[in-house]
Amino acid sequence: MKKLHILAIVVIAIAIGMILTSLKSTTTYADFAEAMENPEKEYHVVGKLDKTQPQIFEPRVDPDKFYFTLIDNRGVSKPVVLHKSKPQDFEKSEQIVLIGKMSGNAFQANDILMKCPSKYNDGKNELK
Amino acid sequence: MENSTYIGEHLWAGQLGHGFVILSFVAALLSSLSFFLSTKNTTYLPLARNAYYVHCFAVLGIAGTLFFMLFNHYFEYQYVWQHSNTEMDMKYILSCFWEGQEGSFLLWTFWNVVLGLLLRKQLHNQVWEAPVMAVFALVQVFLASMIIGVYVFDYKIGSNPFLLLREHPDFSSAPFLSKPDYLSKLNGRGLNPLLMNYWMTIHPPTLFLGFASTLIPFAFALAALWNRKYEDWQKIALPWTFFGVFVLGIGILMGGAWAYEALSFGGFWAWDPVENSSLVPWLLLVAAAHTMLVNRNKGGSLFTTHFLSIGSFLLVLYSTFLTRSGVLGNASVHAFTDLGMTGQLVIYVLTFLFIAILLLIQDVLFRTSYIIGSLLLLAAAFVYDQTATILLVWLGASFVITIVAYYRYFPREKEEEELYSREFWIFLGALTLVLSAVLITFFTSSPVFNKLFGTDMAPLKVADYNNWMVPFAIVLMVLSGASLYLKYKKTDAKTFYKKIAISAGAALLFSVASAIPMYFLNAPQGFSSQQAITYSLLLFTGLFAFFANNQYILTVLQGKLSKSGAAIAHAGFALVIVGALVSTSKKMTLSKNTSTKKVSALGEGFDENESLLLTKGDTLPMGPYLVTYSKKQRKGIDVYFTVDYFKPTKDGKKEYDFTLVPHVQDNPRMGKAPEPATRHYLGRDIYTHVTYADLNTDTVTMEKGFTEAKNYVGHVKDSIFASNAIIVIDSVRTDRTQEEYEKNDSELSVTAVLKCIDVTGKAVYAYPKFQIKNNTIVPLTFEEPTLGLKFVFWKINPENETLEITMSEKLSNAKDFIVLKAYLFPYINVLWAGCIIMGLGTLVAVRERVRILQRKNEV
Repeated sequence: MKKLHILAIVVIAIAIGMILTSLKSTTTYADFAEAMENPEKEYHVVGKLDKTQPQIFEPRVDPDKFYFTLIDNRGVSKPVVLHKSKPQDFEKSEQIVLIGKMSGNAFQANDILMKCPSKYNDGKNELK
Repeated sequence: MENSTYIGEHLWAGQLGHGFVILSFVAALLSSLSFFLSTKNTTYLPLARNAYYVHCFAVLGIAGTLFFMLFNHYFEYQYVWQHSNTEMDMKYILSCFWEGQEGSFLLWTFWNVVLGLLLRKQLHNQVWEAPVMAVFALVQVFLASMIIGVYVFDYKIGSNPFLLLREHPDFSSAPFLSKPDYLSKLNGRGLNPLLMNYWMTIHPPTLFLGFASTLIPFAFALAALWNRKYEDWQKIALPWTFFGVFVLGIGILMGGAWAYEALSFGGFWAWDPVENSSLVPWLLLVAAAHTMLVNRNKGGSLFTTHFLSIGSFLLVLYSTFLTRSGVLGNASVHAFTDLGMTGQLVIYVLTFLFIAILLLIQDVLFRTSYIIGSLLLLAAAFVYDQTATILLVWLGASFVITIVAYYRYFPREKEEEELYSREFWIFLGALTLVLSAVLITFFTSSPVFNKLFGTDMAPLKVADYNNWMVPFAIVLMVLSGASLYLKYKKTDAKTFYKKIAISAGAALLFSVASAIPMYFLNAPQGFSSQQAITYSLLLFTGLFAFFANNQYILTVLQGKLSKSGAAIAHAGFALVIVGALVSTSKKMTLSKNTSTKKVSALGEGFDENESLLLTKGDTLPMGPYLVTYSKKQRKGIDVYFTVDYFKPTKDGKKEYDFTLVPHVQDNPRMGKAPEPATRHYLGRDIYTHVTYADLNTDTVTMEKGFTEAKNYVGHVKDSIFASNAIIVIDSVRTDRTQEEYEKNDSELSVTAVLKCIDVTGKAVYAYPKFQIKNNTIVPLTFEEPTLGLKFVFWKINPENETLEITMSEKLSNAKDFIVLKAYLFPYINVLWAGCIIMGLGTLVAVRERVRILQRKNEV
């Protein structure tokens, strides 16, 4: 069994090493303030759509750019450039997760995840 | 309130159903207990068996009642109301049944019942019957508790699918439900339209049958620990385990096929937590099945087999916890909603872990102290607010005990495995599978860690998962290609290398020839040289595994089908890996807008211009095609967009090729969900989905006239967005200085220079101006004819240096359009073919194992 044991130990050591290195490279959830401190690093920023600010999506000009403003969970509001088409049902989103980096005063997002209330809607409204 | 005040309710159905639920719970409990007792005293056996039969009958009763209610639209029941309606197609009634959590637990329970009946018959009066069935029935107790829906001291246990809508805590306050005749006006909410897909009627039952079959090796492993007979269960469990490998594997791949066909994340595998948590138990089950082979052919590998068999089932439980407790939250697109059963699910996972560890320990004192220690920790968890630490301590202790148990209680091999022996390579494979399972579980569990330790880890990205898994796949490919050429115990190294040399050479030739153009000359965007090397290695080893297994079937087995299950399955697995590698790494975005090539300053991940805007009637180049958006049509809740594909011919004309009709589902439950359309070819797939569109089909576009003018206030260098251009306020010019103005009859003209940049990046200028005569402002309209824009510059606000300009657009600018994304997946059929071949190979192996078992029983 010895050979296998040594191998197992080596392999487990590699695994632990991999997990540790991955911890360094994985992105974390953050707010705008933290993202601003490390503009090189990618973050997941959670927040809500700032409905008082305009949204700009002009697909004829550029279908892969969508400008809006997000209020993060600390209440800080920053302009966002999403490098994708405007998601369908964007206005209905209850919570938004943006994945990207801070660049100057604007957050450059390459992906977006939305939590729509309708998705979790259990039908209470239909019974009114 | 009196029930009689409501008209038309069928109260008997719910009472019957819930009666069955309680019966199934009690019978399973009784059965488990008496099976347990009969391990020492066989007089309990008849009672245990009968109780199990009653449990089976009750489970069938629950399912039958629920189906009856769904068929007859008893919307007074919350589950029926939530998951079905009168309009839906009855062929989806199965999907309604398991759409909710309760139904999917029921599906799982049902498969356990079926497998339990078959297994019990097989084990009749054998020493394994009592302990194996005790575990089976105990699992059924827990599953039944998930749908029992009773309150114990204000704590809800399980969610009852037979609850009346008006009794349901979420809806009981709805005023609508207090009217006596509410039922006559009530229709169900219906099934989530996204699930109305044929894959979704067969994927869940297959997957749950796969989950259920992990219970068999688990139950045997626990029974073996209980009986302290580690050897002879494996011959019975082996065919069942490979059956589990087959069913669970197929179930997972069906999920991938559904995602590829009906969801629009642009691929078949997204490393979503829900996907991962069914993959991980499968990886361990595969490892367990292989170490059982070692045991059957050479002996030994006892601890490993027990460990893997137990681990696979525990991971099924853990995945149940992950996907059903709501802990995933934002991390997954298709986790179940939280039914408030988190605590119960945690207890479920921990209890079985506890039982497994408890059975590993074999001396009484040690066992007692483990029980006492665990109880103390549990009590401490209630008293102190340190659940995470206490859980970690307990898990750590359990891990240490597992290692101690391994050294203390399991028979040791006398001699070391030879390097060139099949068992050594199988162990290596098992180790690799376990390791990849550990990594995937670790990454997937980030929401759990966040909850426990207050960290804020975000889920790992798909590309990172892919990169992490490539080294593991390389090792697995080498092992699955070469291991069949090795004999158990010892093989001559020279002959071994001689035999695999041909396949290795062929693979090297093919992979060099294809990897150089694929990953070096024509590397995908953002591809690092490290990736190019590892991906090429995977291609080489994958092809090697494919060739070597084919060679094995032809030369060693000489085409004997019954013996070639393993080789066929390995070859299929190699195809799955090669297909996944090529189709994912060489996935090409066709909709990349090459006409406006902008180099992104933001670097990797900001792949600009991935989408294509198609105006109705226009034809645009897209990859090797010319595409036209020709029609929009609404059918029910789906809006279909007809996109015609043409091939450019040499003489500059176009030739019709095919039509794809991607659609967007205006899903009342989930919002707008785009569903792709795919053109399948043998060697590639063209995959298209609409990312943005106006779903309104009756907008009439008036071709003439202008839109209403809109006023814009801005500084110089600010921009205005038109629907077809960005307008930058370049500068403001006057024709006279202040002095000249005062001298010259007080006449002055002020011009705003507007730079209008159209979609292609071309700029045209517009010069709206106003004249000031005797302190009166006279604005003049300026029309930019190529873009169809009209501007009026009419005011300057000196206090904040802003200008005011109105703009109106030609109505024909607002023509209907869609934003499209299109990908090319090369050789994705290799993946699907690999899935089928792997499945068939596993089936052949199962059949062969059953045959061997039967032959042994006859002797």
